[in-house]
Amino acid sequence: MPPSRDEIIAIISEEARIDEAKLTSDVTLASLDIASLDVVSVLFAIEDKNGVEIPVEAINPAQTLGQFVDGILAKVSAV
Amino acid sequence: MGCISGLGQGTAQTWARAAAGQSAIAPFGLPRNEDERTTGPAAPIGEVNDSGVAAHFDRRAIGQLDPLSRYALIAATEAIGEAGLIGDPVLDRRTAISIGCGSGGNTTFETAYRRLYERGQNRVHPQTIPAAMISAPASQIAMLFGVHGPAMTIASACASSAHAIGEAMHMIRAGRVEVAIAGGAEACLTLGSWVAWASLGAMASDTCRPFSIDRQGLVLGEGAAILVLEAWEHAIARRATIHGELIGYGASTDAAHITAPDQAGIEAAIRAAHADATLALDVPVLISSHGTGTGLNDATEARALKAIYGATLAESLVIATKSAHGHLIGGSGALEFLLGLKALQAGLAPPSAII
Repeated sequence: MPPSRDEIIAIISEEARIDEAKLTSDVTLASLDIASLDVVSVLFAIEDKNGVEIPVEAINPAQTLGQFVDGILAKVSAV
Repeated sequence: MGCISGLGQGTAQTWARAAAGQSAIAPFGLPRNEDERTTGPAAPIGEVNDSGVAAHFDRRAIGQLDPLSRYALIAATEAIGEAGLIGDPVLDRRTAISIGCGSGGNTTFETAYRRLYERGQNRVHPQTIPAAMISAPASQIAMLFGVHGPAMTIASACASSAHAIGEAMHMIRAGRVEVAIAGGAEACLTLGSWVAWASLGAMASDTCRPFSIDRQGLVLGEGAAILVLEAWEHAIARRATIHGELIGYGASTDAAHITAPDQAGIEAAIRAAHADATLALDVPVLISSHGTGTGLNDATEARALKAIYGATLAESLVIATKSAHGHLIGGSGALEFLLGLKALQAGLAPPSAII
């Protein structure tokens, strides 16, 4: 079963070590100060849990958190 | 002093449970949190509380950690905090780090291998090497506490952290540093590591019974133990709490067999330690033994102790705490040193915990 939006937010919070309260859908990745390595860690955690491959090139810092999560959900649901 | 193992987190809890004869050894299944493929006794760490580390450092500074480094940082933070040295200028240039590990970050390597071999994926996490390398715990401690002196890892199998403590003592004696953060860690309760240990034929199927006639073998544990060693004058000058004085260290190499212990090698190390400490062999002592619970080790170790101490051995105490915390491999020597020191302080020899 694909993960829920909340589960993905929890993974982002854990891997990027940012409080969940700050992870609202309208903030951009750049404004959250998420290092590119942390974005990779989020993707790997989701890949390991769901057996998908998500190319890191598809992510850019100008994306909002909502767009980032949408992109992940699209990949995971396509499996 | 600081530690974490199956007995719990922190020196106080660890000692209390060991002194009460409690054991962390219980039925255990791997892989963790998944469909179990293999089961047996082990002494796993349950809850891990990072709040002690988080109280001093931004959790984002800690980065990607294998459990190996995570355990080492928790133990180091307790030890350095209790020593009152967090933020002390001595950490900057006059401190060494000496950490013993038997293997590296098993969890991180195995996660990467599962991607490659099991799932046919082509990429692994970019932090795989820095997280899994055997020197990661020493490096992470150095970065967290701002230690710019030598930070080294000693890998000599089950003797790793005992060597790490002894070599650190000599660095202080030689005047190279005032303080040494010394100890060891291991995080080997992973499927690949477990199966490899099992194939060695040294693992017990029930529990760890050191020096017992019915012993079956060793039981794996995990965790870390770290001590702060300090030059005597430095500790006195800053009115530090002194738990004990490390007066000697001896090391030898069997150069005989890659796994089987050798009585002559054990005797040589003990004699060297007494010579270094200028301590006579006929003085009753407390011996925190290796006592793995394997047929070969315990018999050889017992013969070596009898050969060295003779009649005095009857007046000495031999403790074997792997029955409580399992075999921490590279981390064992440090945890057994810590428990031995607590036993001396309390005037109480913890019993062998046999379920």
